[in-house]
This record gives sequence, structure tokens and C-alpha cells, in this order.
Amino acid sequence: MSDIDNHPLNRKPDETPALAVDNLQVEFSAQGGRVQAVRGVSFSVQPGETLGVVGESGCGKSVTMMSIMGLIPMPPGRIVSGSAKLNGKELLHLPVKQLNKIRGVDISMVFQDPMSALNPTMRIGEQIAETLMIHRGMGHGDALKRAVDLLERTRIPEARKRVRQYPFEFSGGMLQRAVIAMSLACSPSVLVADEPTTALDVTIQNQVLELMREIQREEGMAIVLITHDLGVVARMADQVAVMYAGQIVERGSVDDIFYRSAHPYTLGLKAAMPTASMHVGERLMAIPGSPPDLFSPPAGCGYCRRCDYAMNVCEQQLPELISVGDSHASRCWLQHAQAQVDVDALYQPGASTC
Amino acid sequence: MTQFILKRLLSGVITIWFIATATFIGMHSVPGDPLANEKAVAPEIRRNLEARYGLDKPVWQQYGIFLGNMLRGDFGISFTQKNRYVNDIIREHFPVSAVLGVLALIIATVGGVIWGALTAVYRDRWPDSVIMFLVVIAVSVPSFVFAMLGQLGILAMNEWLGFSLLPVAGWGSFGHMLVPALVLGLGTMAYLTRLMRSSMLEVTSADYIRTAKAKGVPPLRIFYKHQLRNAILPVITVLGPSIAAITTGGFVVELVFAIPGLGRFFVQAVQQLDYTVIMGTTVFYGAFLVIMVLLVDILYGFIDPRIRVGKVRG
Amino acid sequence: MNQTLETNPTLTSNPQMTPADFEPLVKTRQADLIVRPSLSFWQDTWQRLKRNRRAIYSLYLIIGLLSFSYLLPLFVSFDIAEQDLTQISQPPGLGRQSLVVDTKPWAGRFVEEGERRQLQTAPFDSRAKVAGLEVVGEANTESVRLSWQPLAGAIGYRVYRHLLVPSGPADLGLPLGQTDQPGQISFEDRLKLQNISYYYSVQAVSYDGQLSDYSTVEVKPRHAISLRAALSRGLVDANDAEAMLGQEVELKRHLMGTDYLGRDLMARLVYGGQTSLFIGIVAPLLFVAIGILYGGVSGYLGGRIDEVMMRFADFVIALPFLLFMILFRVAMGIGPGESGVTPMLIAMVLLGWPTAAKLVRGQVLQLREQPFVEAAQLMGANTHYLIWRHMLPNVMGVVLVSLTFSIPSAIFTEAFLSFIGMGVAPPTPSWGAMCNDGVKSFMSHPHELLFPALFISLTVLAFNLLGDGLRDALDAKMKG
Repeated sequence: MSDIDNHPLNRKPDETPALAVDNLQVEFSAQGGRVQAVRGVSFSVQPGETLGVVGESGCGKSVTMMSIMGLIPMPPGRIVSGSAKLNGKELLHLPVKQLNKIRGVDISMVFQDPMSALNPTMRIGEQIAETLMIHRGMGHGDALKRAVDLLERTRIPEARKRVRQYPFEFSGGMLQRAVIAMSLACSPSVLVADEPTTALDVTIQNQVLELMREIQREEGMAIVLITHDLGVVARMADQVAVMYAGQIVERGSVDDIFYRSAHPYTLGLKAAMPTASMHVGERLMAIPGSPPDLFSPPAGCGYCRRCDYAMNVCEQQLPELISVGDSHASRCWLQHAQAQVDVDALYQPGASTC
Repeated sequence: MTQFILKRLLSGVITIWFIATATFIGMHSVPGDPLANEKAVAPEIRRNLEARYGLDKPVWQQYGIFLGNMLRGDFGISFTQKNRYVNDIIREHFPVSAVLGVLALIIATVGGVIWGALTAVYRDRWPDSVIMFLVVIAVSVPSFVFAMLGQLGILAMNEWLGFSLLPVAGWGSFGHMLVPALVLGLGTMAYLTRLMRSSMLEVTSADYIRTAKAKGVPPLRIFYKHQLRNAILPVITVLGPSIAAITTGGFVVELVFAIPGLGRFFVQAVQQLDYTVIMGTTVFYGAFLVIMVLLVDILYGFIDPRIRVGKVRG
Repeated sequence: MNQTLETNPTLTSNPQMTPADFEPLVKTRQADLIVRPSLSFWQDTWQRLKRNRRAIYSLYLIIGLLSFSYLLPLFVSFDIAEQDLTQISQPPGLGRQSLVVDTKPWAGRFVEEGERRQLQTAPFDSRAKVAGLEVVGEANTESVRLSWQPLAGAIGYRVYRHLLVPSGPADLGLPLGQTDQPGQISFEDRLKLQNISYYYSVQAVSYDGQLSDYSTVEVKPRHAISLRAALSRGLVDANDAEAMLGQEVELKRHLMGTDYLGRDLMARLVYGGQTSLFIGIVAPLLFVAIGILYGGVSGYLGGRIDEVMMRFADFVIALPFLLFMILFRVAMGIGPGESGVTPMLIAMVLLGWPTAAKLVRGQVLQLREQPFVEAAQLMGANTHYLIWRHMLPNVMGVVLVSLTFSIPSAIFTEAFLSFIGMGVAPPTPSWGAMCNDGVKSFMSHPHELLFPALFISLTVLAFNLLGDGLRDALDAKMKG
């Protein structure tokens, strides 16, 4: 797809993205000021597509998704501007009553820690059935039967027995399956998964990811996968958005990000990833320093102080997202026409000397 | 669950035995012969008592007799009120204390849960500040001051109304119970309000509340189905100690409002050094409290699935 | 992916941008800079506590209360036993003026002999009123002198005193007496007079016992002190005592009023505070110390010993606290009417230690598993060092909070026991015992209950708020 085709005005009607976010800005009021947690984020996901959102802790990736779902406490949180359209319908600033007709129905969420994401004093079945009873107007018995089906779908053995159990009787992986089953109850068109595998064992991680892919194939829904694990992104995502300090710094297809990285931060992330070929005693690369304080974001690029290739302009002026290819863009001055840098040499795998 | 109850029952029995033993040791170390007190009884009763309690026998035998008597539920005869069995005293006066205590407990629990939930819902806004200010007052002012103020309040109200709406003291009707129960429950209510508030706040920021919101559950349903139920659990765990606090708090309230409860009787017995009544009531109260804590434990077990199902992890 | 916001790079390029902008940036600062000074655990806790206004005010309040009880008597001398009988149950206030009066008995007024005979033989009319009832001289709290006109047929007169306006012949108030001398038409009341309004009523009595109608006069005696009392209190100079008669002197001040025995309330509050604060602070200190020892040993040894020790602590916790406080006091041979600070202290320690012990044991068990303790062990630290350097400082935070919260409950316990007459007994003052005294006269003189109650409440409030502040400060520290 070319840029021109992708533009909303040029798109054919049947290609309405499942979720389109435009220039979202979110801030939190804190003692003596405001934290600008999300600073103008735009992205969109097509039905059946998976968007991976990567970034380190506190980069605003979770806040972005939470504010779209209306899950950030307001106050102190505040959506300053922007829009988020689910199948063309605006989500932001909806009253709770209308939002509740959409949440859990058209868009649902899977959380990081399944242990704490479920009500400890309510049976698993009841928690799944609750969604169905509220949104589909099902009776208690029918909803429970459907809950059994859903648990079976997420490959939980003995589902009939399991619906009557409590969360503490489940293992972590089983719980995450149950949470996924719950989020699938009303066949949403978008599934937001906020670090769905971080709290799980590695073997279980694979199973859960596999399950998500399989369900996506069957249901054709869009998935927004929030993670800090590049490995998960490489396996799952079609498109990737790299977030840093409340902004998207690079986005593109999964191949763009991994083989044609166009932002020093993405490069740093990749370098920090352990590989199978690493030797014992070999140190993992770390990006020195820490992200800027979003209490008073810097005038220039937020990554400038940690960047090996920083230029004078980086400190003074925030770069725009600069297109570097088909649907591939990077928020970096190095990509600017006036920058006399051999970008390709810099970013080609093998060219880096680590 | 059965195993859980059996375990609790066993520890309850041992605790009651421990209380009885401690009482025996305590009273046995009273200097001198307890019967040689100035308030001692006529010689024939004295001989009877000596035989009954085996005061002439060695200590361990006395202990055996004491335990045997307690086991049979025989607390002996009052020293100061001749021909009155301690059992009769308890039977006559305890129901009064129990009715007052139950009413106070209901007021304290219902009030604590409601106020606590309110403060959490209106966190950092004026209802929260007002209620928490009152809570601080309620835990800082001794109960007898509230009892006196309560009495003064009734007086002032009756005077203002021109007729006696509520009796100032005494026992008999619901009107007699209302203010004493309120005063008695006040301290516990304040404590439970604080507990409920922090528990509610903890639950409010819990992940599963966020999950429920993400599921599109309406706010009201989130409040009663998810928040309230989980927030009340810690309140139930402290019901045992609350019953103990209300029971002993009853002493003062019964004294001030002239209510013929066991608490007032106990205080009188202590002031008159009526040994059998002191021992009997102490063991009785001790056993009563142990049983109450036991019941609360079992009740909690039924409410919290993590205990009911009996597979607590961690 | 759509790129709605994206624009062509050439469009965004700033015309003022020069090649110099694209020169590599010379980094002047380190990526990471630690600017915060490092603080020790207690320094940090103190910093946090200082930011909590309520906790700091509470700390000031506690210091104030302690100074009130322990420092004030060093500068001002108080007498807790002296009874100021001229000022009983006096409400709080500043100095009070009093008239110095002579207290020689009044001779009274009589009808002349001739007239008396004539009146006695006259017929008695039970509907008649005693006429001309009046106060002779100035009424004062040492004596109120009444006189009236004789009534025909009367052989004597009865005098009553009431605090309210009499509503009928059956409601004349306190009967003061009947005149006993022939022809006496006067009465002197010297019975515990106070500076309030009285209603005196006089009824005539006939020889056959009939009573006449009553007449009433309202009297508000002025505060007065007898010359003798004034002399003994040193309010007047002995040399010119006579000259002071009819003069006003300033009475001893009772800033917070007096109690039902005329004792200075402030003095008793100061010394009562010593008792209450002593019990309230020392008992928790003692049982927390025992708790640290017991819990520390139990947690450190672990295993079977730990289990047995903790089971025993559980049993002691199960004892109904107040009942056993009373029982132990009785057991220690302290009857009602005896002071009992020490037995109360012992009883509190005997029953109070397990909570602290369990707390400390839990902490120690947790700490034993902490990496820094293991690290210290690996580096060869001995047990002594481990306990003093690693265990104690980390346990102390929790212990301090528990101590702060134990103090209000100990003060409440003292007050409760004293209130039901099983605590500190007269004449030793304590705030609780003072409340017990004050209850009796609460309706007429509320200050006798309210002052000690206020002091108890302030102390409890201050310690509770300080405890809250400490816990928050330490919690924040623990959580990082």
C-alpha cells in the first residue's frame, strides 16, 4: 500500500480501519504541574491486522490504550485533544453510559497480570457470563453455557468444571486464557492486549500467543498488542509502532522495523535484545540514561541525550515523523533531507559494530 | 472446609481452657484466703464452699475441682448476694447485655460499611473530610464521655419536646436501648469506617475493577457486585475483636445508663470483691468471646471462597 | 498503516536551518545525574514526617501535654490535696473577689414581750401570709439573714430554701429549720451557700400545728469569706485583720475551676497527667520491649520453638483484655480505694506484649529471607552484627508505629479502668479517675468531667495522628 492509497480520503469505504487514533494527547495533573504522558499519537489498525506497540516502561503505550478505552481516572487524567474512532465511531469523550455499550462489545482488553485482573471472589464462569448478560441480555443459565463454550474455545480442559471455580484455583496461563475467553465473549472487532504474556512463564507465553493468533485468524479481529518484548512483536505483529516519551518515534511493517530500522532508539532496543547466538559472559547492551521527565518535556527530541548520533538540531527542535518508505516513518532528524548522513550505512544490520 | 472448622473448634476449646486456667491462677494468687475476706459468709456456708472448692486440698486438686465445675457449667454461689447462684445471675443479666451488644454491633457494622464506602466514593471531597473528621473525634473521645453526652442529649431533647420521647436511663423498651446502643457502637463504628475506607480505596484501584470497566459493566453494578463485596471482607475479619470491644465497652454504658446487664453486675462484683462472680463471669465472657471469634472465622470461611474451597496458595 | 499526519519532509524543513544544525551534538551533561543527596533511613522518614502537617502539629501537642504535666510543676507549685471550701465546684475563670465578713452568729430579731403575748393569744388564720419577709443586711455566702413581720397566733416559723421558684406549699425546697426562741422573727442561713439565686420561703406554725400560707423572697448571696478563713489562707494581713472586714479580697485563683471537694482542677490535671501519661507511655514501652525480645528470639530461632512460642502468644491474645486487667489487679491484692499504678502497669505488660511480639517475629522472618541479610552473612557478618546492623533498624520502623498506636489504647485502658473504679484510685489523681469523679456532678458542673476528658481526648488524638503520619512516612519508604 502506498501513502496515497492509505490516506483516509483515498480509501475505499470497506477499508475503514477497525481502530483509528489521531493526534491523541493525554496529560495527568500532578503536584505542581502536568505530566504530558501521551504527546500526539496517531495510528490505525485494519481488521484482521495486528499492531505491535513497543517501548520501555512509562513511554505512554499503556496510557494511550487506556485512554481510548476510557479507563484512565479523570481527574487527574485529561484527554487534551485528538480522536479515536472505532469502526468510524468516535470513542473519546463519550459519556460512560454510551461507552459501556462499546466496551466489552466492539473493543475489549486483555491485561498484563491475569492473577489480579479477575475478581478473586467471583467464579470464573460468572465473570465471563457477566459480559454476556449485560451486553447480550442473556439469562444467567444461557450465559453460563456460553461461558463454557468460550473456555473450551480457549482450550481450557474440563471447562464445565472450570466455570464454577475461582481465579485462585487457576494457574497463571489458564487464567490468561480465561481472560481472553472473557474478552472474546461478544466477538469484538478490536482486541487490546496490554502485555498479555509478561506475567507468564516462557512456555505458557508461547501457548497464549499462539491462541491469540489462532482466534484472530478465525474471528478476523484487529489486535493491538502492547509489549516491551521485541520477540513477541516479531512473532505476532503485522505493523509496529515504537513509542518513546509519549510519542511514536518509528512505525512501519514488522520487516521495516526489524530489517530497515530508521530510528536510533529502535536500534538501541534491538541491540538490547538477547539473542540465541550470545555467548556466556557476553553483556547485554543497554541504552544508557533514562527517558526525559514528561513533567517538562524537552524542546527537542526526547531521545537526544541518549542518542549516539545526536546533532545540534536534535536538542532544539522536535522532529516530525518523516516518511522513509512505504508506510514506514521515523521521527528523527537524521532522515531529514539536509542531514548529510549516510542513513543506510548507519541502520543496515551488520553495519553496526556491536 | 470441615477440616478448617474442626481445626478452629479445637483451638477454641484449648483457648477456653487457657482462659479458665489463667483465671484460676489469677484468682488463686489473691493474697490470703478468699473466704477470709471481710465480706465472708456464715460459717455453714463457708464450710460448704470450702468443701465445694476444696480450699483445704492441694492446689492441683483444687484446680481439678475448678475445671470440673467449669466443665459442668457450675460457677458457684455469689459471695455477696447470699443464695444466688452465679449461673442464675448470668442467665438473668446476660440476655440484657447481649441484646444491647447485638444492637450496637449492627449499628457499628452497618454504619461503618456505609460511612466507609461513602468516604471512599467521595474521596478527598467534603463528605470524606467531614466523615473522617468525625471518625477521628469518635476514636479519640472516651466512651464514657459519649455516654454522658448521650444522656444529656436525651434530657435536652425531652425538655425541648416538652415530653419524654426517650427514657434517660433504665431498661425495658426499644427506646431504652437506642441511645446506649448507639454510644456503645460508636467507637467500633469509627474503627470500621476507617477500615472500610482503606479497603474500598484498595479495591477501587484493583486491576479487576479496571477489567470490569473494560468489560462495559455499568458503574452501579461495579460498585455493588465487584467493589463492595471484596471491600467488606476485611471488615468481617475484625468482627471478632469488635464483639470483644463492644462487650467490654458495655460495662461503662450499662453503668451510665443504669442498664441491668451482666457488665454492670461484673463491675459491681469487682468493686465488692465477689470472687465467685468475678471468676464465673470472666470465664463465661472469655468462653463467649472465643465462641464469637470462632463463629466469625467460620462465617468468613463461608464468605471468602479462598478459604471455603480450602486451597490457599502462597 | 495510514499516515494522516505525515507531511513531506521538504515542507517541514525550517528555512532557517543551517548545516551547522546538523553537526554532531557535543554532549555537555551526563545522561544520568544523581542530584538527590543520599539520606539515611531515619533521616528520610523524618523528612517525610515533617511534610505531614497533621503529624507535626500532633507532635507539638504531645510535647505540650508532656510539658504541661512534667515541666509545669517545676516552675509553678501545685497542691493537689488542698481543699478550698469557699470555692467548691467552681467553674473555670480568673480571680474572684470575695467580701471578708465576720462570722459571729447573729442575735436575730424578736417581738417585744408585750406584743408577743398579745399576738400569741390572737386567733391563727391558716390562710394568712407571713408579711414583710426581707433580707437583713447584705446577703453573702457566709450567711443570709432573713426577718419578717410577726403573724397573729403563730408560735414559730419554718424556713425553707429552694433553687427554683416554689410552685406550691408542697414544693418549698430544703427545710432549713423552725425558729425555736419565743418571739423570734428572724433566721440566719449558713448552710453551704453558693453564689447563686435562692428562694427562701417562710411559713408560720400555730400552737396546734397548723401552717399558714407561705411567702417567698429571692436572694442571691454575694461571694464572701469568713475573716478566719481569710486569715488562715493568708488573704488578709493578720495585723490589720479587723480593718479588712467589709473589704474585698481576691481569692485564690483556680484557672480551671475546682472539683466537688474544692480542690484545684488544674493542679489535679497536671498531676493526673503524670499518672495517665506515665502509664500510657511506659506500659507500651515495656511491652513493646518484651515483644521485641520474645518475637525476635522466636523469629530468629524459628522451627519448633518458634511454633510453640507463637502458640502461647496466641493464647495470651485470646484472653479478653479488660476482663483480665481487672482480674490481675484483683489478684495483685489491689482492692477498690487503693492507688494502683504499678499493678496496672504490670497487668498491661502481662497482657500487651504478644501483639508486638507477633509483629516483630513476622518482620524478622521476612528479613531473614532478604537478600541483603544473606549477602551480609556471605560476607562473614556474625550474628551480633547481623542483629544490630540489619535486623533491629529494619524492625524498629514497624515497632515504632505499633508503639505510637499502643499509647492511645493504653491511655484509654487507664481511663476506662479508673472510670469503673478499678484503676488509679483517690487520692492519686489520674485523668480517668478525675472523669470518674466528674461524672457525679456532670449535670450541674460539667467542667469537672469535660476537662479531664478533653485532656484524654487530645492525647489520644495526637498519638493517633502521629502514628498515622509515621506509618505513612515509613510505608512510603518501604515501597520506595
